[in-house]
Amino acid sequence: MSVYEKIGGEAAVNAAVDIFYRKVLADDRISEFFDTVDMGRQHAKQKAFLTMAFGGPNNYTGKDMREAHKHMNLNDEHFGAVAECLVATLNELSVAQEYIDEIISIALSVKDDVLNR
Amino acid sequence: MTSIEFDDSKIILHKNESVLDGLIRSGHDVPNGCHAGVCQSCIMASDDATDISAAQEGLSDIQKELNYFLSCQCKPSTSIRVRRAKPLDKRVRGIVVGKSMIGKNIISLRIKAPLDYRPGQYVTLWKDDSLARTYSLASHPYYNDSLEFHIKYIRGGKFSTWVWDTLKVGDGIDIRGPMGMCVYAGDKDQPLLMAALGTGLAPIYGILQDALVKGHKASIDVVIAAKTSEDFYLVDKMLELQQRNDQVNVKFLSQEESAGFAQHANVYDYCKETFAELKNYRVYICGAESFVRRLRKQCFMSGASMQDITADIFLAFGR
Repeated sequence: MSVYEKIGGEAAVNAAVDIFYRKVLADDRISEFFDTVDMGRQHAKQKAFLTMAFGGPNNYTGKDMREAHKHMNLNDEHFGAVAECLVATLNELSVAQEYIDEIISIALSVKDDVLNR
Repeated sequence: MTSIEFDDSKIILHKNESVLDGLIRSGHDVPNGCHAGVCQSCIMASDDATDISAAQEGLSDIQKELNYFLSCQCKPSTSIRVRRAKPLDKRVRGIVVGKSMIGKNIISLRIKAPLDYRPGQYVTLWKDDSLARTYSLASHPYYNDSLEFHIKYIRGGKFSTWVWDTLKVGDGIDIRGPMGMCVYAGDKDQPLLMAALGTGLAPIYGILQDALVKGHKASIDVVIAAKTSEDFYLVDKMLELQQRNDQVNVKFLSQEESAGFAQHANVYDYCKETFAELKNYRVYICGAESFVRRLRKQCFMSGASMQDITADIFLAFGR
């Protein structure tokens, strides 16, 4: 059973996405990347990201991740900020620490692709 | 055996085949992505409600209201008619039946045309093949048998100049649409906040009327912003709606000075203070891009769920 299923599947993503997106928009280190004209589409992207990070059904490949982020000049600080927002979101939703650890390890698995290394 | 009707063709579905797979197999070009009901690339629409509800998981109330469904998740038990969620490039011919001034530099244009729409949606109006503009509907099919648009005169604007100077009652005009998801939907007990800048009031007026026609129960706050008190229009109608409906509260906010009916206040500051906690609200925001962007973000940060914020951006065209 994936952590996605353990924490409640799509309902968990729906509960998390607004909280998560509010946090990244309020974080000066990364808000510029998320504050776009099409807020609805950006929100949908965050939903897709959380589904992936929770180990849910997705079609992300390392290549997609690399392509999508390669012109953004991201560094460790940006990645860390997103990870912090993610952990804060999960804490706010009282997700158990063992599941949070599992989710962070999924997020870390795409780090090199995101940072184009 | 089940089948799909789509674009004048009929496709027999294999056992356990989704609508999306059936359409792709028979050569139709349908956008698609995850095939897992997540990415929403394959959204389609069907007015045969029975079979699509299982394929609406994760869609917003508004998408459901518009009979959208995820074609990758839909395995119908009976035959089903489906269409693209975005309209084809098909125009209908309308006739101008009314044209009158309703505000400083704003004309109400009324057009009779065979077009089904939901209040708050928009259409494209064509002067000819080389000149078209997009306008929101201000009318409601329950009250109006013609379509109504609020056309603001833009100095040097080709389309609005043509409407003002040349177009007259009895003339024909091409229309494509309707488009857009800025419509009344969802829970009747959910408080509503509607914010309009300038002729953003056109769709807001339509959505407000629709909410009332459909028996909305919770409070409806309407915030109307304009540069000066001269720039407001539909004032009497809005105040009348407020008087007739206890739950409706209308606020006119003049950005530069106060007048009898309008308060002098910055619309962003006013909303931040008055609606500091927007959790559980549904929010509609219509007007120029900078206004919508800023207020949408502010409302989201004040606790409104993104699913519950519906915005209609009036993009400035080249002239």
